Amino acid sequence: QSFSMPISCAQQTVWRKQIVHQLTERSKRELEDFKHYEQAVEQSVWIKKGAM
Amino acid sequence: MTDDRDVLRDVWFGRIPTCFTLSQDEITEREAEPYYLLLPRVSYLMLVTDKAKKHFQKVMRQEDVGEMWFEYEGLPLKWHYPIGLLFDLHASNTALPWNIIVHFKNFPETELLHCLTKDAVEAHFMSCIKEADALKHKSQVINEMQKKDHKQLWMGLQNDKFDQFWAINRKLMEYPTDEGGFRYVPFRIYQPLNERPFIQKLFRPISGDGQPHNLGDLLKEMFPAAVTPEGRILILH
Repeated sequence: QSFSMPISCAQQTVWRKQIVHQLTERSKRELEDFKHYEQAVEQSVWIKKGAM
Repeated sequence: MTDDRDVLRDVWFGRIPTCFTLSQDEITEREAEPYYLLLPRVSYLMLVTDKAKKHFQKVMRQEDVGEMWFEYEGLPLKWHYPIGLLFDLHASNTALPWNIIVHFKNFPETELLHCLTKDAVEAHFMSCIKEADALKHKSQVINEMQKKDHKQLWMGLQNDKFDQFWAINRKLMEYPTDEGGFRYVPFRIYQPLNERPFIQKLFRPISGDGQPHNLGDLLKEMFPAAVTPEGRILILH
């Protein structure tokens, strides 16, 4: 068995939570007022239409 | 991995709102309006600026269009650095959007590498992935992959497809439980002043007495100035 990182209680520390919080805050700061901007890379979306 | 999935997604979907303005040195047939885009932090300028390029070329004569390059406050931006790194390194203290100047002439030969096609970005990106895997797994994982896996990794980045990218990248981030971690931690410490090179040395994830190292340990050893009481601003990517 293999895994990417040891997920232990020790990782769920204040330090880890703080980094996650900072990341969320960064995303908010950098995106909140600019959501109307065009994405540089378009995400193609598949839409399936059925008659039934 | 599942616990980290939200973090991975937040990192992947990080965006920098950017305003591209054509340099005043460029000759145009009519005024060029600025062009606004959300740039993926984890991507590279040359992969995500096709729309801006087309926009500016519409007002230029074909013979005036040379190799495109970007500048921020007089500093040519290195296309081989990820966008998020460029922003944090040079512009993190400025108001958004990030104002980038677009040039099509006077290429700064001594400061930038040429990038005539996206193949150059792909070669650079794959070289970084291979270097990291050499440190983590003695190149075993990347060498065991097929060419189509390498392509999927690259196409995932190029087309901003998180699942496509991570389906392959997760293999590069794994290690057997009994080995306790990667062989070495692949890292680079970049410094804001352009003339200083990045710091990159061998660093094991586990100390000699078996204790796991954390980021603080790495910084203390590799860049002690970052952890002095005077404080430095440290930004993680």
